Amino acid sequence: MGEIVGNGLPLLAAGGAEGKHAVSFLGVFFFLAIVLAIIFGALGIARKGYSSRVFTNRPAMLAEQLYLFLEAMCVSIIGAHGRKYVTFIGTLWLVIFVGNLVALFLAFSPTANLSFNLGMALLAVGYVQVEGVRANGLIGHLAHFAGPRLGGLLAVLVSPVIFAIEVVSEIMKNVSLSLRLYGNIFGGHEAVVAMNQLGERALIPVGEFLLPIKLLTVVVQALIFTLLTCVYLSLVTHHEEEHAEGHATAHA
Amino acid sequence: MSTPNATTPSGSPAAALVRTVIGLAMMAGGFYLSQHAEEIPFLAFQKALGEKGVPLDLGITTATIGVFLVLLPIIRVFYIKPLEEAILERNTQLERTFSEAEELRAEMARLRSEYEERIAQTEAEARAQIQQQIREAQQMRQQLMAEAAERAEELLARAREDIERERQKVLAELQLRVVDLSLSAAEKVVGASLDDEQNRRLVTEFIQKVEAAG
Repeated sequence: MGEIVGNGLPLLAAGGAEGKHAVSFLGVFFFLAIVLAIIFGALGIARKGYSSRVFTNRPAMLAEQLYLFLEAMCVSIIGAHGRKYVTFIGTLWLVIFVGNLVALFLAFSPTANLSFNLGMALLAVGYVQVEGVRANGLIGHLAHFAGPRLGGLLAVLVSPVIFAIEVVSEIMKNVSLSLRLYGNIFGGHEAVVAMNQLGERALIPVGEFLLPIKLLTVVVQALIFTLLTCVYLSLVTHHEEEHAEGHATAHA
Repeated sequence: MSTPNATTPSGSPAAALVRTVIGLAMMAGGFYLSQHAEEIPFLAFQKALGEKGVPLDLGITTATIGVFLVLLPIIRVFYIKPLEEAILERNTQLERTFSEAEELRAEMARLRSEYEERIAQTEAEARAQIQQQIREAQQMRQQLMAEAAERAEELLARAREDIERERQKVLAELQLRVVDLSLSAAEKVVGASLDDEQNRRLVTEFIQKVEAAG
């Protein structure tokens, strides 16, 4: 319990090696439970309004609009086969969006934790690799990292370099995805705290004026994370569509 | 409008179950890693990162992946699938309604065409019947006219015969009368009664001669 309650803030781990705002394992998952409770509560209310006719229930309408937005994003970026990724992208979007919203009002949010964000990034990039292998086969997917097909000496000299760069690039995608989200949400918290300290003597919560920007960050960060995942999926699965189109042309 | 696709990353229920089990195992493993990070040698870098202000806990990372593996099928079942079904049902109903409307329109066009055809046919039949009636009426008129003319001719001939007969009768009577008057006049002139039968014959012959001469 000492790890969960420390530094005078609930569910924050004691300082030391993990930094002054490090949160314990249970702390992160306590806030994640709050995020999931909000998600399932909202979806549960929305679900009551589902019907075979046009939804008149406002939460159901919002849920439908969100679904259509995610589907449009997947289909427009990945292609016609992108519809099957709506569940994955939707889950990421919901957790990040609600997690970011929670960060506006509570002392902590899962998306303000680098480890949590890294978990999501690893999941997204790992899923992209799985889909890449599924679409192109293991050899085809690995060959994809080697760039364009070169002949002769160039294949020996350049392709391995491109392969190494692409592998590092794939690894760095995890870092960029997780650090971007962590930096924006955690940084937003820190900025509010710092600015509140500026107005502390005059009893003016200056940091709260950042709320509109933070509100924008909530939406934009959820969008960026999922949008980039769609782009990564598109890069590794676009051959599948071309292949299907080739088949369709051949059959025609 | 979108058409929900049944193919999803959740795949079959068995695959979802396997992922859920793996997810739960990763959550438990993540908790263990987080709690025993200092005892595990390859996680020693976390401490160094933490000292540099990068609070990384691979236990949380592992458990996060586990949570998402469990969460994906739940979101699929709880949110995506019912919504896809509702949208699909709505689209199906709309398509059915459009199809029914299209069928009704085609049916209406067919009925209209039939109706117009029937009206045209009825009009043609009516026109033919009217023409037939007119022809029959004209025939009947001509027949009646012919009958009337024949009848008139017959009546005229009979009237002429009657007139002729009456004229002959009147002439005969007149002739007798003239004879009688002539005899009476002659008796008065002669002063003696003549033989009645003989005189009558003489006068009649005389009158006939006069008639023939006239």
